[in-house]
This record gives sequence, structure tokens and C-alpha cells, in this order.
Amino acid sequence: MDEEEYQKMIKRCLRCSICKWIPQVQIKSQKYATACPAIDLYNFHPYSGGGKIILALALEMGRIKPSEELRDIVYKCTECGNCAIACKFLNTLEPLEIIMRLREKLVEAGCGPMPKQKAYTEAVKNVNNPYSEPHENRMDWLPNDIKIDPNAKLLYYIGCTSSYRRKEMAIAAARIMNAAGVAFRILQDEEYCCGSPILRTGEIHTFQEFLNKNVDIIESKGIETVVFSCAGCYDTFKVDYPLYRDYNFKVCHTVEFFNELLEAGELKLTKEIPITATYHDPCHLGRNAERYEQWDGEEVKLIPLISINIPPKPKRTGKAGIYDPPRNILKKIPGLKFIEMERIREYAYCCGAGAGVKSAFPEMALNTAKIRIEEAEDTGADVIVSACPFCSTNLQDGISESGSKLKYYDISELLLMSLGLEPEKLKQALAEVA
Amino acid sequence: MLKKQILEEFQKTVGPENIDDGEVMTNAYAYNWCMELVNCMEEKEPIPFSPIPKAIILPSNVEEVQQIVKLCNKYDIQFKAQSTGLGPWNQPSSENCIILDLRRMNKIVKIDDKNLYAVVEPYVSGAQLQAETMKYDLTVHMPGAGPQVSPLASATSMNGPGFTSPHTGHSARNVLGVEWVLPDGEILRLGSTGLKNNPDWFSGDGPGPSLRGIMRGWAGAKSGIGVFTKVAFKLFPYPCSTKFKLKGISPNYEFDIPDFMKLYVMDCKNYNYLKKVFLAVEREEISFICSHLSGYGLGAIFSNSIESLMDKIPIASTHAPLVIVIAARTRREFEYKQKVMNKIMAEFKLENIIGTKYTPNSLFYAEALRSNLGLHGFIATGGFQSSKGQCDTATVCLNTTKMSIPLKKKYIKKGVIANDFGEGVWITSYESGHYFHVESPTLFDQTNEKSVNGMAENMNENYQFDLIKHLGAPFFVEGDRMHDKFGPHMMNYHKWLRKIKEAFDPNGIADSGFYISAK
Repeated sequence: MDEEEYQKMIKRCLRCSICKWIPQVQIKSQKYATACPAIDLYNFHPYSGGGKIILALALEMGRIKPSEELRDIVYKCTECGNCAIACKFLNTLEPLEIIMRLREKLVEAGCGPMPKQKAYTEAVKNVNNPYSEPHENRMDWLPNDIKIDPNAKLLYYIGCTSSYRRKEMAIAAARIMNAAGVAFRILQDEEYCCGSPILRTGEIHTFQEFLNKNVDIIESKGIETVVFSCAGCYDTFKVDYPLYRDYNFKVCHTVEFFNELLEAGELKLTKEIPITATYHDPCHLGRNAERYEQWDGEEVKLIPLISINIPPKPKRTGKAGIYDPPRNILKKIPGLKFIEMERIREYAYCCGAGAGVKSAFPEMALNTAKIRIEEAEDTGADVIVSACPFCSTNLQDGISESGSKLKYYDISELLLMSLGLEPEKLKQALAEVA
Repeated sequence: MLKKQILEEFQKTVGPENIDDGEVMTNAYAYNWCMELVNCMEEKEPIPFSPIPKAIILPSNVEEVQQIVKLCNKYDIQFKAQSTGLGPWNQPSSENCIILDLRRMNKIVKIDDKNLYAVVEPYVSGAQLQAETMKYDLTVHMPGAGPQVSPLASATSMNGPGFTSPHTGHSARNVLGVEWVLPDGEILRLGSTGLKNNPDWFSGDGPGPSLRGIMRGWAGAKSGIGVFTKVAFKLFPYPCSTKFKLKGISPNYEFDIPDFMKLYVMDCKNYNYLKKVFLAVEREEISFICSHLSGYGLGAIFSNSIESLMDKIPIASTHAPLVIVIAARTRREFEYKQKVMNKIMAEFKLENIIGTKYTPNSLFYAEALRSNLGLHGFIATGGFQSSKGQCDTATVCLNTTKMSIPLKKKYIKKGVIANDFGEGVWITSYESGHYFHVESPTLFDQTNEKSVNGMAENMNENYQFDLIKHLGAPFFVEGDRMHDKFGPHMMNYHKWLRKIKEAFDPNGIADSGFYISAK
């Protein structure tokens, strides 16, 4: 969103509160009608998408100044984008993009991001990951028996969280590719943070440095396709990078890739997994994984006060999210009974971890996860499945904190189990079993 | 900001996390839709901000509301209560005012499916309540503002027409028992909920005189007469099967249209004919929706963007169209309703253009059932307000419409409001055509000072026009200025309204910016 569009949009919030709810026609119960973790938890209107648009306007008009009070509200948001889906059912505002831009402005004013987010930004600059882990340990997750083809045209980009915190996801993804006989390579010590955590807290200059570094490296190796098991890295490469720079490789998430392998018969699921599972759509893999479409049209004044875009400007409504591949995979696992939550696909409720919230406001992240866990429990499922390392950590924290009997699995873990691999190999991939 | 001692007393009442008097929070709550228009009409700077409230406070129950109101009386601070908070009516009129955001009061207290009523707190949205009542094959009246707003606010404090009004009535007529915190902090329970023995919510009138008229009159007091903390209102049979299945991604959902549901759009060509057809349909008590919209409005309810409105020109060029939705729970009922419609169409020599000239997306039917059509008024510029609004017989409502066209055209010519050929109205009926509601949605650009000024002038001239032509009181007669203008022409009702205000709010603590002050 450029400055001109930002200035135009922030004057047009109707304060209708649509942004607080999932699309009205999708509301199935009172309990699961809401869309936004921030307003659900903190109640005051400025925590909502529309409320933050008002803050943006008040800031531009000089009615309020950059302050800790303002910063805390603006950063108590997972940037899940559910507000934007609801708003764009009929309107044309972009609450998510306005929030991102507002964060950039707070950073420019020296007021953002939150102190803990500043610390992880420094860590990214220094050691290429937000966890302050030594860069040389990045490949510690990799078991010796995983076959890597250094000349493969397919790259598995592991990401910081799977490399350091959710190793089971990286191991599972690599073993599944081995099981399917897919030749893939990894970047070893040339893999760096994708930049997502810094982009989403408004540090766009640092983000661009990492973007350029990553694209340069991948292109220099003649990679044709990059596969991600991290929804955050995937979204950042797929949606955000092209806003700054074009690249010449394809990107896909492991759920898309594994689903294709299943469809092609290159993965055989033999082992029964007798569970009832529900699926949590990660925001980065669902509604937000929709690329911006190039629009070269013009705004034409139709009659006084009414302008239209010719051709119509594409709205990002979550239509290109990756919703069916993970569901197809789960439905193919023998013995697994699949059941949906109320808030799914483009209006799925966030896990609570995104956009720096997990580090700056851990309580908010945890309380959001507990809401989502309760929704999963209400389906009658005994397992919640997802496909994102951030969701994995946060939902598992939510399970522990709420004392839920629900179990969490990444979808690749379930897939791996169903492939019937030897228990030893499975152990490495299943944190819980290990 | 509040003085420290006062802030602490409020904090003791609701907990420190539920009150905020900081610059950021209070400024954000000063904003609302159409506030620039209200400011302009009050000859203030046309910005979308009201006076900044002293603090925002979030009570969670009636006792906390009562305590807050008592503290307001003690410290001579006014209060403004809001639920879902859409529109300038939620805004304080002075800086000596706190806002009670009733968001934490969000319980559905009761759904009585046998006696057909529900009891809700202020922050239950229409869509939430409807989702729960649908489990009992029931539905609820929702105002035209949309399913995201509070039905309690509509029932107790606002004017409340809606697209399903032929089936679900007007919110003023749906109110049963009420729990009400008066401006002096007393709790009043209206109707059967105030009984000493076996209180319940099924009736709005108990022994003795009814206070429902005092409570809300026609257009509601917009928090100017206290805070409503619970309300019971009528439920209605859901008009067809409650199976509700959507496919696809927002906003392009595909809806499995229920078996017994049908849309009619008939081009009545002129207002006289429209009136006859309108009354004929409503007399038969068969419609779920029965509305007249202008050509633009007709196009808008089938569109989800201004661009998609462009391909609706064939239907948007109709004159005096009437939109009717019938729905039924059995084949027999459906056949009967269709036969009636066929008979009316034959009698008036009308055709249904649905299925011939135009076939809407299936989502239209979902939005009709879930009361989402009113929100389509926003698709053009975002700036939108009704320059007039009345409730009367079909004759008066249609005369108002006809007579207002030249006036609207004058402002269209000035380029300050969008061109709807002057015909931009929405009319719906209530109670089998006994009375009707008309309002004149008008599009303006809220970011353009000239347009805002022009729209304000247009509204003021409309009000004057209504007085001169004896067209009744518009529903935006709010605040001292407007009541003092209209009261002398209408049996001095404003004097009585002031007496009510004085009796119920002796200290003038409930903000009366959109009601009336005692003086």
C-alpha cells in the first residue's frame, strides 16, 4: 500500500464493527462468531482492525502522538488478517495493510517495535535468526541418514523456527521427501531468516536486506522450486517478496507438495492412524497466502463523487489460500476421521502467535491459543493438526496451559506415521514420542 | 482525563484493566461514521470526531453499570452508553462525559422457544442471536444497519426498521421486558420482569401504566435516558428451512437456496401503481421481505462492489421497483404464496424480472435470510446517510418520496451528493401494510468538505421541507435544536419530552446530545 492509498483509506472507516466478526453469513454460533483475537481479549475498540484505522487517522491528524500507549495497542495484533476478510465482504478497505503501514510509521518515529521485537531484530541482523541461536547450529536438526542431493533443483527451505525450535517438522518433511524419492537440497549455512518477523513489526529496511540476500543465494544456485514447511516463510516468499523484487523460482508449501505426491501415487499411506482430527488453517498458509495481483487500471470518475476502477481492482479475499491440500491429505490417512471447526479457511481464527505477539505479548498469544483449542475440543476431535511451526508452538502451549486432553500434530508428522516408517526414524520426527 | 481519585473509584468498580482515560483510547472513541456531518450541521469543523470523552469504561454487569452511573451523579460527569457503537448517536456531546462501552455484557440470557422471545445483553450481535435462534427454527428482527449491530440497541434506543420488517416487525413493537439503569442509578425493570412474584420477561407491560413509550418513544433516546442492560424481544418463525450451507470463499459464496424460497422484482413504473401493488402484497401477509428501492438501491443489493454494480444497469434502470421475497416451510405453504403472487401479478399486469431480465447470485438469498442487505448501501463511496426518514401510511411515505425528488436533484446538480436521479429511497412495510417506513439514503463523500457541507445543507433543507409540507417528523429529529424546531409544529411534544427527561434524569447526567435536555 503506497502512502497515497493509505491516506485515502484511513479516512473511510465506517466504524461498523464488521471487522470484529467472521463474515456475517458464516456465523454459526454465538461462541465462535468473532474474528479478531486482539479485540476479543482487550475489548476496547482500538484493538480491532477498524479501531486501528481510526488510530492511524488520529495520528495523521495530530490528535495523538507516537507513544507507548499507542505502540502497545498497535502491536497487540497478530496481523492475522481476519479483519480484512470481513471488511472486504462488501467494502474496499485494507485493515491489515493499514496496520502494517502504521507499524512502519511507528518504527520511523522511533516508537516501534516493542522492546522484545527490537531484540529479535538485532538477533536476525547478527546471527540470521530471531532466536539468538548460533548460525552454525542451524543444521543441527538434520539426521545423518537423510539423503540430500546437492545438485537438486528443488530446495527445501527449513526456516528459523523449524531449524531451532520445531525440529520434528523439518525432520518429518525431509523423511517424507526421502520416502517419495524426491531429490532435494538444502542451503546448509547459507540459509538465513526469511525476514517475516521483522517485516511484520515494521522494520522494512532490515527486511529488504534479508529478502535480497535470500533471493540472490537461491537464484545463484539455479533452484527451480523452493518448498517450505513453515507457513510464515512461505507467505513471506510468496506474497511479500514480489512486492519488492521479482524472482525466478517457484514456491510451494509442503502441504501442496505432499498432496501432489499423494495424488501421483508417489507416497503410499499404509498405516492406520485411528484418531479424530481437526485442522487449524495457519493465517500465513490460508487467507494471507494470496499474492497481490498486478493492477494497471485506472480510477475513473463515473459521476460526481463516484469513481470506479477500470478494470476492477482485484481484492485479496483469501481466495488463493491453501485450504484443500491439507484437508485432502488428512482425508487420505487411513483410520483418521476428519472434522471441521466452525471458523475455517479464509475466516479461520488465528492461533495467536503471529507478527511478534508471541515474543512481545506471550500472555495474549497463550490466551488466543486457548480460545482456538477450546474450539477444536468442541468439535469432539482428539487431535488438532496444523502446518506451521508458529501455530505448532503456540497451540501446544495453549494445550498445556488449558490442561486440554487434545494432542497436537503437524500434518507432516501424521503423514510420516501413516507411511509406516521404522519406529526409530519416526522417533526423531515426533517430538512427543521421543 | 479523569481526576486521580475519580479514576480510582471507577477502577474499584470495574477493575483497572476495564477503564482507560489515556489520550489514544479517548481519541479513538471520539471517532464515528457520519460525525463530520453532525459537526457540520452543528456549525462545527466537519471532522469525524466528536468531543473527546474523559474515559472509556467497560462494565460487565448491571451492578457495575449502576455503580458507574451513581459515581457519575456524585462527580457530575455525564455518561454515554454504547453497545456495538455504529453511528454518531454513540458519541458524547461534551467533554465532560465518559463512554460506557457495554462490550463485556454479551450474554444471551434466555431463548424461550415456546413463548417466542429471547433475552439478551447489549453486546450480543444480531447475527449471533440469529445463529442461536435458528437452532430452534426461529429468527429475530434485525435493523437495516446489519446483523453485526446490537438488537438490544435497536429495540430500546434507536429507530429500527429492517429488510425483514414485513415478517419481523419494527424493533419498537418487539420490546418485551427490559432491565434499565436510570440516569440516577436506580434499576427499573419493565413489564413482567418487574413483578414481585415469578418475574419473567414475556411482557413489556405489567400492571399499571406502560412505560415502553417513555423508554423509547418512536426513535429511542440514544442513551439519553439511561442504560439498558437486558431486553427481551419477540422471536419469529424462521421463514423456511434453517439448513444453511455456503460454499466457496468470501465474498463469492455459493448458497444452497432453500427449497421454498423465491425472489420477485417487479417494475411498477410509477409511485401510484407501486403503492397499490405494495398494499395488495402486504394485505395477503405472505412476504418475508417487501421493499421498494430506487434503481441504484436495487442494483446495490445484488452487488458487492461499485464495479459489480455496473453490470446491474438493466435492473437498476427499472422505475419504482418492488422487491419481494417469499419463503415457506412446506411445499403447500410455498405453493399458496406463489399462487397469491401470481394472482397479484396478473391483476396488476406485472412481470417478475427475476429469471428473465436478471438472475442474482445465490448469495443474495443467504444475505436476505441473515439480514445483511442493508450494508450494501455502503458499496459506493462509504459516505452514506439518510437525508430523511419517516414512518407513516403508504400514501404519506410515497408522497414524501415523490415530493422530495426535486429537492434532492438540486443537490445532485450542485455535485455534492451522488446522482441517484433523486429517487434514492428505501421503503418497507410493517404489520401487513398498516404502516410503512421510508428513508432516503443519500451518498456523499465524507472526505470532501464541499460534499459534507452540501449533504448537511441538504439534510437541513429536507427537515424544513418536511415541516412546510406536513410530512411528519424525520427520524433524525435529535437533540435540543431539532426538537425545538419540530416540537411547536407537533402539539409541543418537546415540552412533554423535556418533562420526561427532567423526571428521569434530575441531574442531567445521561448525555442528551441525541435526545433532549431538561432545560
